[in-house]
Amino acid sequence: MDSLLQHLERFSEVLAVSRTTHVSTWDAATVRRALQWARYLRHVHRRFGRHARIRKALERRLQNQWKQEGGSGPAPALGLTNFQALGHCDLLLSLRLLANRALGDAAFHYLLQELFPGPGVPGAEEGMLQDSLALLARRRAAVHMLRSGAYRENPVLQEDSLMKTQAELLLERLQEVGEAHAEGPGRFLSRLWEHLPHNNFLKVTAAALLLPPSSPRHQEEESELGSPRRAGEQGRELLHWLLGKSEVIAAFCRNLPAGLLTSVAGRHPEVSRVYLGLLTDWGRHLHYDLQKGIWIGTESYDVPWEELYGRFQSLCQAPPPLKDEVLTTLKSCKAQDGDFEVPGLSIWTDLLLALESGA
Amino acid sequence: MGLLSRILAAFRSDIKEVDLFTQGLGYAPADYYPGLLKNMVLSLVSELRENHLNGFNTQSRMAPERVRSLSRVCVPLVTLPDFEPLVEALLTYHGQEPQEMLWPEFFDAVNEAFLLRKICLPVSAVLCLWLRHLPSLEKAVLHLFEKLVSSERNCLRRIECFMKDSLLSFPLQPEAACHPAIFRVVDEMFRYALLETEGAPEVLAAMQVFTRCFVEALEKENQQPKFALKTYFPYASPSLVMVLLQRPKDIPQGLWHRPLKRISEMLKEIVEDETQGSSGGPFESWFLLAHFGGWADIAAEQLLTSVGDAEPPEALLWLLAFSSSPGDGPQQRAQTMVEVKAVLSHLGRLLGSPTPSARDLLAAAGESGEGDPRPPACQQLTRRLLLNFLLWAPGGRAMARDVITLMARTDEIMHEIVGFLDQTLYRWDHLGVDAPGSRKLARELLAELRGQA
Repeated sequence: MDSLLQHLERFSEVLAVSRTTHVSTWDAATVRRALQWARYLRHVHRRFGRHARIRKALERRLQNQWKQEGGSGPAPALGLTNFQALGHCDLLLSLRLLANRALGDAAFHYLLQELFPGPGVPGAEEGMLQDSLALLARRRAAVHMLRSGAYRENPVLQEDSLMKTQAELLLERLQEVGEAHAEGPGRFLSRLWEHLPHNNFLKVTAAALLLPPSSPRHQEEESELGSPRRAGEQGRELLHWLLGKSEVIAAFCRNLPAGLLTSVAGRHPEVSRVYLGLLTDWGRHLHYDLQKGIWIGTESYDVPWEELYGRFQSLCQAPPPLKDEVLTTLKSCKAQDGDFEVPGLSIWTDLLLALESGA
Repeated sequence: MGLLSRILAAFRSDIKEVDLFTQGLGYAPADYYPGLLKNMVLSLVSELRENHLNGFNTQSRMAPERVRSLSRVCVPLVTLPDFEPLVEALLTYHGQEPQEMLWPEFFDAVNEAFLLRKICLPVSAVLCLWLRHLPSLEKAVLHLFEKLVSSERNCLRRIECFMKDSLLSFPLQPEAACHPAIFRVVDEMFRYALLETEGAPEVLAAMQVFTRCFVEALEKENQQPKFALKTYFPYASPSLVMVLLQRPKDIPQGLWHRPLKRISEMLKEIVEDETQGSSGGPFESWFLLAHFGGWADIAAEQLLTSVGDAEPPEALLWLLAFSSSPGDGPQQRAQTMVEVKAVLSHLGRLLGSPTPSARDLLAAAGESGEGDPRPPACQQLTRRLLLNFLLWAPGGRAMARDVITLMARTDEIMHEIVGFLDQTLYRWDHLGVDAPGSRKLARELLAELRGQA
């Protein structure tokens, strides 16, 4: 058992390295050994797939890599991240090596020969790897054909396939990180926030919070592996982090489209509270310009009237608990201001008037 | 070579916005393509279905041109397992346009993949495929014919299993059986196949099995028979079809002569009435009868088992003569009937004699070996009666093998004998005929003859 765990860890390191420039030192023999290890581990996966204890032990060992804080920069060099990956670790290795420009010519040619030996030579193992590669290539081609042909982006962001896929990946990673270390997800997300473009990240976060409760990708494999992956749990981690970071949640509420935020707020009451809080905050920064007859802000970062109105309008189109909450908030703000019915005195009055006139 | 390998190795994604994010998570494009494809397919499927359900007022309606280009894109991708839901959704898509929106090669590609079993589709999708694109159905039936002719000769049970397991079981599903169009197309192909092969026994057998399975499926759907029949058999008189459709199993064996007589009389009326231009001549009537082949066989059996009792009923003789040789003129047929009567009376006399020999039997039947002047159809009939006699008569068992050896002068005749035994056993199984002795003999003979082949 111990030697198996060591093997596993070593291979995982090899896999992590296979993406870096270190492979320039690899020769054909190294590649061959690596592929052999991969095949062996695939066999292990087949053999011990149903042994809960062994599987857990293997996974725990693999989680060590999350504990290393050394990973600087945006893209962590990861090896195997879960037990399932063992099932196609030769595919993972082959793909990384194929894509790695740093691999020397001799090693590369050896790799090609192993993967595509030409007619009439397929062994059972090699055949499976080739089939996996072919299938992957076909799927990639299919994605691109669909995108250039008939596929259109879904205007409802959380329904869009690309967004959904990114969201699913995010939750999956969070699950793995969370299993390795309780603090893991929070730290991981913070690092992502530091390194990745914010706009896309926020959208993906919203999409992730709106994913249906059933688990993303691996639901079919759930029952056979016996370790249920609950999108709900990772979603909660994500939400917890989001709400804990004032900078992030502010950007979230400010930059995302109104409809999307309404959906998120509808699903997660904690978000709706923060959102409403921010909206009222932003509202208070506006003052009434008597000459122009409109509400304006003084600073460049102030939220303009139209946007504020748009967001409230969207919120009022949401189903009951949220809609009522919004109206209650608006009315209480209006009351605090003095409960005026005349426009121009309290922004809350004006908002309510505009909303009621049903634009 | 170097350049080529580098191009080959480019599994990089060019979906820029996703790239950075997934890299940040530590995923490579290869990791997320399967999931992305699945999501894209789901999204497209729901767009197609929405169209279907909500009518033409939804915003998310997929424009027909897009459906068309989508089906075009799918042509090379039909065999990808991830695409099954999309293929199904496209096949069952019904737009508002009168003309077919799907790309024609799409149907071909799906049909190919389906026939080669590279994809699985539910019955409803296959039905749509076949109803919208006739060549697909024709190819499927031809595919079946090829398989049948090459592998399942002379074993009706295997043909039945084959049909029920194969893709052609689709027309036999209750949902499909309600589509007269599909039955008619398959029927037409059987018709042509029979004409081309001049009544090849394999095709005949396949058609009989198909019809039987089809009728079973139709009954499962509880259709009103009167209404359905005209659409399935437009050239035949409904009353005739109804009699033919009767299941011998539902009628006590002793009363079988009644429907037989009815069938014979009705057919005779149609065939011998020269003013009936629209019935399509004797071939159509024969073709119809051939669907329900069991009746002619039962007639032969009836004649045999009642031999020696009384005069064989003219109706049965006529039926037998017609089924084996529909093209005969009335005089020819009458001649055949006389021959058969003669054989029957000889056989009847043999029943009385204590230990008939094989040669006696053959002589009685007029089987004179080479240079038999009678037409081949008549000879075939005679052989059939002889074989029936062997199976039913008390002394038959003893001389069965000798008779068969003497009868089977050519490979073709041997083939015919094996076919007869197989068909008889098949029929007895389905009708639940209680004749343990005869059955045992038939089975033994069949096994021996098959072993020899």
